[in-house]
Amino acid sequence: MKTTDIAVIGAGPAGLSCAVEAARAGAQVTVLDENLKPGGQLFKQIHKFFGSREHKAGIRGFRIGQQLLEETEKLGVEVLLDAAVYGIYEDRLIAYITDGKDHTIKAKKIVMATGASENALAFPGCTLPGVMGAGAAQTMINVNRVLPGQKIIMVGSGNVGLIVSYQLMQAGADVLALIEAAPKIGGYGVHAAKIRRAGVQIYTSTTIKEVLGEEKVEGVIAVNLDEKWQQVTGTEKHFNADTVCLAVGLSPLTELAWMAGCEFTFIPSLGGHVPIHDRNMETTLKGIYIAGDITGVEEASSAMEEGRLAGVACAESLEYYDENKALELKNQIWDRLDALRTGPFGEGRFTAKLKQLDARRQLA
Amino acid sequence: MQSTDVVVIGGGVIGCSVAYHLARRGVSVTLVEKSDIASGTSGACDKAVLLQSKNPGLHLKMALESVKLFPGLQEELDVDIEFKKDGGMIVIYTEEQWKIMEQFVERQNKLGLAVQLLGKDEARRRQPAFAENIVGSTYSPMDGEVNPIYLALGFFRGAKKYGAKTMLGTEVRGIKLEKGRVCSVITDRGNINTNNVVNACGVYAPFIGAMVGLDIPIIPRRGQIIVTEPVAPLIHGDVNCARYITAKFRPELLGNDESARLGVGLSLGQTENGNLLIGGTREFVGYSKSTTHRALRAVLKHAVKLVPALKGINVIRSFAGLRPYTPDGLPILGRVTRIKGFYMAAGHEGDGIALSAITGKLLCDVITYGTTSLDIDMNKLSLERFKEEDIDVFRKSHNCYGDAV
Repeated sequence: MKTTDIAVIGAGPAGLSCAVEAARAGAQVTVLDENLKPGGQLFKQIHKFFGSREHKAGIRGFRIGQQLLEETEKLGVEVLLDAAVYGIYEDRLIAYITDGKDHTIKAKKIVMATGASENALAFPGCTLPGVMGAGAAQTMINVNRVLPGQKIIMVGSGNVGLIVSYQLMQAGADVLALIEAAPKIGGYGVHAAKIRRAGVQIYTSTTIKEVLGEEKVEGVIAVNLDEKWQQVTGTEKHFNADTVCLAVGLSPLTELAWMAGCEFTFIPSLGGHVPIHDRNMETTLKGIYIAGDITGVEEASSAMEEGRLAGVACAESLEYYDENKALELKNQIWDRLDALRTGPFGEGRFTAKLKQLDARRQLA
Repeated sequence: MQSTDVVVIGGGVIGCSVAYHLARRGVSVTLVEKSDIASGTSGACDKAVLLQSKNPGLHLKMALESVKLFPGLQEELDVDIEFKKDGGMIVIYTEEQWKIMEQFVERQNKLGLAVQLLGKDEARRRQPAFAENIVGSTYSPMDGEVNPIYLALGFFRGAKKYGAKTMLGTEVRGIKLEKGRVCSVITDRGNINTNNVVNACGVYAPFIGAMVGLDIPIIPRRGQIIVTEPVAPLIHGDVNCARYITAKFRPELLGNDESARLGVGLSLGQTENGNLLIGGTREFVGYSKSTTHRALRAVLKHAVKLVPALKGINVIRSFAGLRPYTPDGLPILGRVTRIKGFYMAAGHEGDGIALSAITGKLLCDVITYGTTSLDIDMNKLSLERFKEEDIDVFRKSHNCYGDAV
């Protein structure tokens, strides 16, 4: 049977950062990903990252992906692609499907870095072709170079909705409007200002009433919401759109963690049910760690830091690092994570993550 | 404080059936369930109402009586329970199995079960998906199918319609006795005054028994089942293999390889939606509801041998359920002599769905009339048939607490 020191599930920013960190310590690392290309969501991120220099601020997302891949290659990390992990079984046995066939690999430590998936929104017509996640539209334009449509309605004014609106325009589409159910814009002011300057109107306290069309999206009817989030009849607006992009949040992809038997806690601001973990990113199951959006939805920079943390912790528990060296590295990462979780947007996540750690302490 | 004539503990198919039959007879009944309807064993099984898998004797007799009630339930309940009588086959793939099944069939025929042996060609004509190298199969037109979750829900809604009170998400914390008689049930949502309690908690029945000092010999036997994507009709009725029957009644005859240790035997059926349910295992691993890669592989390997077409079909899910196993394979039903007003309705192992209808009726008879008009010997189903000194040995020898895992 195939064996490895550390198996990392998911080759996105968290998984690759974890692999690099653990391999640097000397561990044998195998990364599994169901996609045909590694990098997770990094390769569709053509915008520059925020934050400070150690968080690679000013560097575009796909370049960060390229750097991570170069490092994994240099360090001899094995990356298995088209490997859909479907279960974690007894004694840390990972079962996965490659090319339609069943395979297994046994690992001393497992890191789940499975990421998140886009939330859907229910309204009449929501299953028509042309209604899609904003992230899916972003993949189409930035990775596959295909325009999902010409006339777009974006739903949701978080950073994803704002950034993808701009990128759709760069790719040649027309964003007819951005609508937001809340009374104010959710994402960064700079992003919102940028798309406003480009002529996109942002309608707050507005939602989709109905998407029209027989076999595909042929029009959108939006409607105002009152203070109680109820639709106000008579305020309908018709848009001649052919595509609706939904940027209404993400949910952690936790199926594997549920299956493995990790204990969970419920923290709505992190995306709902999230696995409980400790300061080392270890779940309630010994030898099984998590990193990135599976631990609660944040962003790529903190995902990478959590990945590094899990990598160092795994390396330490396999004795590739002594306690002092590991503590020194972990202290640096914890500091950087804390820095990422400050400011008006980070504060809430900081409190939420404290709650998650507290759930672990209460169990112990 | 609430008052009721009977408290039924457990919202699986058995508890719901007991509550339904009592409520329909006009008894004031309250059903208490820790979690939700069919959230345990009743929601983690296949859909066969198999007569052929019942031990010829009291077991088969009860099943025959039970199955007679299903067409009426299909009419009566407000939920479509998807009852069908598509027959069932037990596939035989060695000469040795053929000889054993010959005797089994003869005994079943004597008890009134219509079942016959079919040679290979006839078996494959009825079930074209069978492999070419089988020896033959049995066939009974009397085997049926039902959706176990809808059945439990149908009983539950029926009970409510006839006036039963139901308390879901409510945990029983204790049972109060007065002079050797049940006087109230203590729950985390208040106490209920009652003189009668039915313990319908399946694999958890021993925990309720312990509240009144009863030692109940029921232990969990895990069964793992695999679900495939929906496909065009492939399997007609219920399909089992001769090994399934052996694993159920005489696991020691299976040998000592891995597949024998897991108690692998084929159970195969297709749901109304087209999904195939492929089972299963019989394992004594305590209360663990995990699936294991080793067992899923063994089950699929065995299934593909007998039905080669399965090879090209995608698996989408797997789950495990805990079957309430008793030392003699019969359920524990009826009055418990030592405690007045305490009744048992548990321990059906993998036959709870098929026996749910008769169990509800029997309990209702015993609680309201003190006896049943059905020709069933309740003494053979009583808790008292077991000696207390044997129970601990039974638990330990069957790894009840999962220590050996």
